Amino acid sequence: MSSHIEPAGHPLLAEVNPVAIPRQELVHHGRDFHWITEKVCGIVEAKTPVWWWWCFGVAAFVASFTVAGLIYLVGTGVGVWGHANPVNWAWDIVNFVFWIGIGHAGTLISAILCLLRQKWRTSINRASEAMTIFAVVCAGIFPVFHVGRVWMAWYLFPIPNANYIWQNFRSPLEWDVFAVSTYGTVSVLFWYVGLLPDLGTMRDRFTAAGNLLKARLYGFFAMGWRGSNRHWANYEMAYLILAGVATPLVLSVHTIVSFDFAVSLIPGWHTTIFPPYFVAGAIFSGFGMVMTLMLPLRAIYRLEDLITQYHIDCMCKITLATGTMVGYAYAMEFFIAWYGANPYEGFAFINRAFGHYAWAYWIMITCNVITPQFFWSRRVRENTTLVWILSIFVNVGMWFERFVIIVTSLARDFLPSSWGYYSPSIVEIFTFFGTFGVFSVLFLLFIRFVPIMPMSEVKAVIPQADPHGTGH
Amino acid sequence: MTAPAATHSPAAAPAPTAALAGKFLVAGLVGLALTAAGFFLAHDSAGVALSYLVGISYWSAVVIGMLMLVLIHHIFDAGWSVVIRRQFEHGLAAFPWLFVLFLPLLASAWLKPGLIWPWMDLSHELHGGHTVGTDPLYLKKASFLNVKMFTAMTVGFFAVWIWLSARLRKASFTQDADGDKKWTFMSRKTAAFGIPLNALALTFAAIYWMKSLEYHWFSTMYGVWFFSNCIRAALAFGVVITVWLYQRGDYKGIYNTNQFHCLTALAFAFVVFWAYITFSQYFLIWNANVPEETFWYNIRESGDWWWIGMLLLFGHFFVPFLFWLVYRNKATRAPALKISLWIAAIILVDICYNVLPALKDHHGVPQPFFSVNLLWVLTSVVGIGGICGWAYLRSFARTKLIPIRDPRIVESLTYHEATAP
Repeated sequence: MSSHIEPAGHPLLAEVNPVAIPRQELVHHGRDFHWITEKVCGIVEAKTPVWWWWCFGVAAFVASFTVAGLIYLVGTGVGVWGHANPVNWAWDIVNFVFWIGIGHAGTLISAILCLLRQKWRTSINRASEAMTIFAVVCAGIFPVFHVGRVWMAWYLFPIPNANYIWQNFRSPLEWDVFAVSTYGTVSVLFWYVGLLPDLGTMRDRFTAAGNLLKARLYGFFAMGWRGSNRHWANYEMAYLILAGVATPLVLSVHTIVSFDFAVSLIPGWHTTIFPPYFVAGAIFSGFGMVMTLMLPLRAIYRLEDLITQYHIDCMCKITLATGTMVGYAYAMEFFIAWYGANPYEGFAFINRAFGHYAWAYWIMITCNVITPQFFWSRRVRENTTLVWILSIFVNVGMWFERFVIIVTSLARDFLPSSWGYYSPSIVEIFTFFGTFGVFSVLFLLFIRFVPIMPMSEVKAVIPQADPHGTGH
Repeated sequence: MTAPAATHSPAAAPAPTAALAGKFLVAGLVGLALTAAGFFLAHDSAGVALSYLVGISYWSAVVIGMLMLVLIHHIFDAGWSVVIRRQFEHGLAAFPWLFVLFLPLLASAWLKPGLIWPWMDLSHELHGGHTVGTDPLYLKKASFLNVKMFTAMTVGFFAVWIWLSARLRKASFTQDADGDKKWTFMSRKTAAFGIPLNALALTFAAIYWMKSLEYHWFSTMYGVWFFSNCIRAALAFGVVITVWLYQRGDYKGIYNTNQFHCLTALAFAFVVFWAYITFSQYFLIWNANVPEETFWYNIRESGDWWWIGMLLLFGHFFVPFLFWLVYRNKATRAPALKISLWIAAIILVDICYNVLPALKDHHGVPQPFFSVNLLWVLTSVVGIGGICGWAYLRSFARTKLIPIRDPRIVESLTYHEATAP
């Protein structure tokens, strides 16, 4: 009774005769280990392409908008943002939630799909994890600078101080501090641990090529990786543990972000479905951004054999699934606002759909609920240009979702006498616009200096890696 | 392994289940007869009817969860679960019978409105003196909460479940015989539209059958809560059935530790998911402290319901969570079977927690959990469960033990855990 279940012969096995529907290849054209190493390392080793310099210049210029916006804000005061009673939270928290949400796909791909043993994740997980870290950086800008005196931002952490000032530990905003900083730390660790074997490879290749400066640099970051049996065993265990730790973090971060709103009494915010709805939305937006980034990268570096149509299909289907979950949550919110018979809740949702911000609501519905439904079609999924355009719609839609939730509820709260209409100031627009530059600068640096795919993981999913030699 | 499918060889035939099916049928009929006797003879027929609702909701949750797992299997083109999937497909045979068993509740809705769902009787007196018909909160939602809508929607839920089940069962069973790949593609298409359809059906079934018992209360999370219990129940019964089949000898040589571990790991994941959903709902309502929402939990903190709440907290989450954390418990039959039986039982308690406190005295105090109603819950669960078990075994006897022509069957039979990250 207590013994492990072990296979033995069974007469029914003689009748087993599966119909032939082969699994999709994860690496096309029978590419071997050497080809994968050359392809991935070649991106880092090759001379910096002209397009990269152009992109980097433009991205840095765009990033300067954030720098300018923040300098002006610090020099003048938070009043330069467009917040005013009753909309005291607006683009800052919209942008914070938007960027944090984008960060979710990286950890989902790396951690959760790792635990679920989804082999297709290997080609895209490195870039997605990088995207996570850069998105968290962009997200962090907004709450940190919203505190006003940014040099006092350390007060967010419970560090003993002379004035005995303590944080409000009952506030979800304080929980955000812990959740996001933990998430950021674990994401960096997870990304870095995954990088170690590839950094070792880069070190060895630069050594062989006689480029000692780069060899030492990559060698420093490779932390003595030699690829020994013991190194691999420790590496795999560390990776698995980090995957286990990161998985609840993926859920907890956006759950706590949803608590920022749901613990309140504001109509349209206080609803119990917010936690899973926010998590689904974060994964949805994250995959949108992964596709926005990976599809051009695939085309520029001719990575079609590594990021195959099957990978794109999988990403599209996850986007479709999570978009439909988000649609379910929209519908359930609307339905319960009516079913609950609370006039304020009912008004909040009618106002969203037909009030002053109806344009934003319908952009949200169109982008988040209707757009992913195109991914039902195989023809759409096989048209990478169209997939890329649709992924941008997803990004746009998810920004508008946060805008709709936050601004419409605040602009029309309980007292009509305090109603208002929020418009962003030019400083806010500059700051947000610039974060795309910050993100792009970091991502461009990533693809220039770091192997964009985990070579060992990609090699592990090709038929040559199968010890049985049968493809299984 | 790859020889053409032969005719059903005697050696491969499962051991006979007719006798066992007969026992289940008898147990089911006895349970139903006792419940019926209780309904007509007991002093509190509403308590019996509500207990019967617990029974039907519980077994519906089990089978809805099985349906969802089969749909998810097909949408993911999963490999490991092929050898287990057939048992869930047999479980789907219970849907038509569950519909038949729901008919007494529909009949009560028309013949004795208000017996179970107070909003069905406009003259039903509410705590405070006024009636449902004059209650502004009812009048707001009267277009949704009325007997005709309830009947039509319930028939619609079962139509969806029976139709989806029939498509999946036909595709799977027919493929055993003809080996046509079109059945696999048909199942994938069924899964693509079946998952959202099932999600909507189970959500509104939870709202109509359980949440509307206290129609003033509302929570957007309720459908997700029911979904999490459905999946947990199906996984628990999945473990019970597969261990039973292994003990009987049917699964020897087919079912290995790796497939079993995947099933139990999934059960572990949904322990956390259930806790996440249940905690989120409770926490957000507790924190907001709005009387329109908190009254639902306040009722459940009175009398022995407080202890039932604690039992759910520890028994539905902490105990299985800590238990499943250990690899050996997930990979070994005996402990996995024990905890699965415990989970199956605690889900019943969770359904009771959601349904039974709706039965209140004229002061608005709920009847205790430990009352005669518990007897009717047990007779209902045995009665409806007996019929469901009989339906499962009837289906089980008619087909191969595993889908021998499924495109992923070899992958499933040789499934081993990946060691690389």
